Amino acid sequence: MKMKQVAFLFLIFLASQTVHSWKKDEFRACDQTPFCKRARFRKPGACTLIAHDVSISDGDLTAKLIPKAPHDQDQDQIKPLTLSVSVYQDGIMRLKIDEDPSLDPPKKRFQVADVVISEFETKKLWLQSASTEKINGDDGGLSSVVYLSDGYEAVLRHDPFEVYVREKADNRRVVSLNSHGLFDFEQLRVKKEDEDWEERFRGHTDTRPYGPQSISFDVSFYGSDFVYGIPEHASSFALKPTRGPGVEESEPFRLFNLDVFEYLHESPFGIYGSIPFMVSHGKSGQSSGFFWLNAAEMQIDVLAKGWDAEGGILMPTEQSRIDTFWMSEAGIVDTFFFVGPGPKDVVKQYVSVTGLPAMPQLFSTGYHQCRWNYRDEEDVENVDSKFDEHDIPYDVLWLDIEHTNGKRYFTWDKMLFPHPEEMQRKLAAKGRHMVTIVDPHIKRDESFHLHKDASQRGYYVKDATGKDYDGWCWPGSSSYPDMLNPEIRSWWAEKFSYDNYVGSTPSLYIWNDMNEPSVFNGPEVTMPRDALHLGGVEHRELHNAYGYYFHMATAEGLLKRGDGKDRPFVLSRAFFAGSQRYGAVWTGDNSADWDHLRVSVPMVLTLGLTGMTFSGADVGGFFGNPEPELLVRWYQLGAYYPFFRGHAHHDTKRREPWLFGYDIFNVHVNSTLFILMY
Amino acid sequence: TSACPLGKFYCKNIGHAPSFLYSSRVNDGICGMICSRADCCDGSDEYDGKVKCPFTCHEAGKVAMESLKRKIEVYQEGVILRKVEIGLAKRAIARDKAELSGLKNEREVVEKVVHQLEGQVRKLEQEPQEKDDKMREARNEKVENEESGPDKNVDSQTEPMKASDVEKQGQAGESPSDQNEKDEHESSEGLSREELGRLVASRWTGKKSGEQVEETDPVKNDQEEGGPDAGYEESVADNAGRSSTAQYKIGVQDLKNSSDIATPSGKSWLDKIQETAQNFLQSVNLFSIPVANLDANKIRKEYNHYTAKLSDLESRISSLTEKLKFDFGKQNEFYLFYGRCFELKQDKYVYKVCPFRNATQEDGSSETQLG
Repeated sequence: MKMKQVAFLFLIFLASQTVHSWKKDEFRACDQTPFCKRARFRKPGACTLIAHDVSISDGDLTAKLIPKAPHDQDQDQIKPLTLSVSVYQDGIMRLKIDEDPSLDPPKKRFQVADVVISEFETKKLWLQSASTEKINGDDGGLSSVVYLSDGYEAVLRHDPFEVYVREKADNRRVVSLNSHGLFDFEQLRVKKEDEDWEERFRGHTDTRPYGPQSISFDVSFYGSDFVYGIPEHASSFALKPTRGPGVEESEPFRLFNLDVFEYLHESPFGIYGSIPFMVSHGKSGQSSGFFWLNAAEMQIDVLAKGWDAEGGILMPTEQSRIDTFWMSEAGIVDTFFFVGPGPKDVVKQYVSVTGLPAMPQLFSTGYHQCRWNYRDEEDVENVDSKFDEHDIPYDVLWLDIEHTNGKRYFTWDKMLFPHPEEMQRKLAAKGRHMVTIVDPHIKRDESFHLHKDASQRGYYVKDATGKDYDGWCWPGSSSYPDMLNPEIRSWWAEKFSYDNYVGSTPSLYIWNDMNEPSVFNGPEVTMPRDALHLGGVEHRELHNAYGYYFHMATAEGLLKRGDGKDRPFVLSRAFFAGSQRYGAVWTGDNSADWDHLRVSVPMVLTLGLTGMTFSGADVGGFFGNPEPELLVRWYQLGAYYPFFRGHAHHDTKRREPWLFGYDIFNVHVNSTLFILMY
Repeated sequence: TSACPLGKFYCKNIGHAPSFLYSSRVNDGICGMICSRADCCDGSDEYDGKVKCPFTCHEAGKVAMESLKRKIEVYQEGVILRKVEIGLAKRAIARDKAELSGLKNEREVVEKVVHQLEGQVRKLEQEPQEKDDKMREARNEKVENEESGPDKNVDSQTEPMKASDVEKQGQAGESPSDQNEKDEHESSEGLSREELGRLVASRWTGKKSGEQVEETDPVKNDQEEGGPDAGYEESVADNAGRSSTAQYKIGVQDLKNSSDIATPSGKSWLDKIQETAQNFLQSVNLFSIPVANLDANKIRKEYNHYTAKLSDLESRISSLTEKLKFDFGKQNEFYLFYGRCFELKQDKYVYKVCPFRNATQEDGSSETQLG
């Protein structure tokens, strides 16, 4: 008993310790997030929607979702939703549910653009007909069944509505949606006099002009014992249940791109990137997958077995199954079901939707040496020559924010880097490359040409009142280009031409940091959700994809710069589904401790599984000073990261690999692991 | 590359020094450049025909020769400088040692004087005890009033007093990080948007939020910076009178200036002290009957004067002794570096090295101690 108390006190102590680094209360927990809190309280079977007017149109299986029993009150609020099921080659079913545009909703809900590759649309199978079945155990209700691929069918049960994929031979289910009746779709409404839609969090007000608009539903994976994916979290590879029997109390896995200072090494909390793609796997060796193309804040519960014991909903019990619960603040239902059946098939199916990883340049697969900051040209030259002196291979030298003139990207600090071209040429003469940082925040300084240009053209993201949004980041007062707009992306891409980026040479590549976007004085260190993008799209609707569009624009800039003949290399911190087409990512500001070394493995594996094959963690840990053994072990592990970079905070001691002596480095790392790479 | 013994490749480099090369540099497609130790200047490491390297050993040899010559010149200059320093150090050490022994003599004398005066003072204090208790009480009260005075002033905030500064300093010294933590927590909601931005940025940059605020508000900045600093100096000065250790610290800090502190000008000065003191004591002793108040004050004044003198001597002696304890090199060639500082400006940083003391990096307002 006493021991327990001591252990408990110790835990409290640990918890209070962590508050100092990770500012937990600065970020919204599920119960501080109305849509998440509400959704988590919903009971299985709460959904009363049924599929009506089921038919084949334009090669899709379509239907209207309407409430089963007409409501007395709020009748005007519940309009039919449109549902469509499309089928694509290689066993992919796409389910979309949105408000009916013909019913004149207050606003068009945001559908994430430029993520699904154009080739995918050419793979669509035009459905000709659907068969109607009475399926055992469905109380005689009807289901519409369409062909999906050899051996698989897509099924829409009408009442209550449910969508799933099954194996044709034995009617075995693979992936299903709304089997537990948790589906909910908050439709946009016109505000009534007495309603208050504003949300407040730590002194920030979200005006929420369109009111609540969240979506939630349950997804089940059959023949599954584990689920994986949905990066980015510092957590185990197989996702642990977040709700249900045996789970004390846990946040759902959050997908909300945030710049989290000193993130924890074990937490479902959302960090820099989001890929709402989940893969399941069972002891049978079979896998399936589910992807929700939605860039708003998402929260995902992995439900422990028996979570629905009281719900009384009978599910086929002969198969092992993992149930999950997906909640999003806005957007539409645009989901992809992948039949597998093997893990590799699932990933192949996923990348046929979002694109294959870009082929990296050979040099970028080598070792990268970074630090915040290599302070001047002399430092660069010295570091470079020390690698030669110690015969340690490396390929790329990086410059962090201090190389610029006052954090104005595309510029150089004239004192510290008076001859950037010559510096790059010296490196290039040895076949080495340089990477400089370019972040999305643009210093609001009238004498800075980039700011002047962007503000005159009206290229910045707007605040809720329609003025250029003014946030705080490294340079102080800053604004952010609206990367959702293709015209602005193209404008941005031009900035990387050798003429525009003065001091750049063909051996210079780019690092995109802070593109969550990080806003030091914004709610949760990011942009307010009611900020406005192209076409009145609210930031809440595309938040998780902002960094993706920025990464895309930068990579396109490098492609343009080289007349399409030089493969870009762009490292990004924020990412979204599809980021693999534009370059590498890393796991952000980790810490120099063994726990972060450990968690980098499942983090990088998860990224690989979800298409982001080119990824790594900062070797040595960004914050703090690694003991020599930790650093050596990290180099040994890092050699196996697809993206292999040593990086460190400016307050840390210098830790270039030769500083720890011949024995430590050469014997343990250089002689064995680097040889694998070079 | 497998042909290299021990993983090293030998280049003859005729016209320059032969060298061994890491085998990773052989046929790597990169030619050696002048001054680069990384490749052979004769191009012999690139033998597979991928690239043809020019023969640069003559140029490399010339460059190497010149840099060697330059190095020799620097060394020669250094040797001359060192000799000068050794000579100067010898004289300085002799002077300091002489001063030390002089000071020790002086201390002996002054100690005696103080001892005698102490006896007198004690006598004086016993007498009035019988005579007038009330007066002593009154005096005590007065002292108490004086002590509580500054506190009252703090309350009314008429003028900044030592006590308040000391208090401030004490707080700041206890746990600045705790305070920051607290500040950050309590006040982040009340911050302006700019202050919040700076506060969050400061987590990464490591700058204290206080500094950040300073940047926004130059007026506030002055107050915040000036306040504790002034307080620090004053409180040290205050402490100095009470404890000898504090005094010693100041002695070290002031070493630069203290070398020209009035040094004894020989024996005559010492004799004079002895004389005047003795004369004075004798004149007092003449009256064995209760001494007049005037004389009592005089005795106290003299006593205070000589104890102050004694503590000055002590501090000077101990600082000299400390100084002489250091290792100034084989021939004491670094003796004159003691108490001196050297500054080097590197862009925005000023590096200051004070041998036998400390080294700092100054960046405008902030200063970092270097190990």
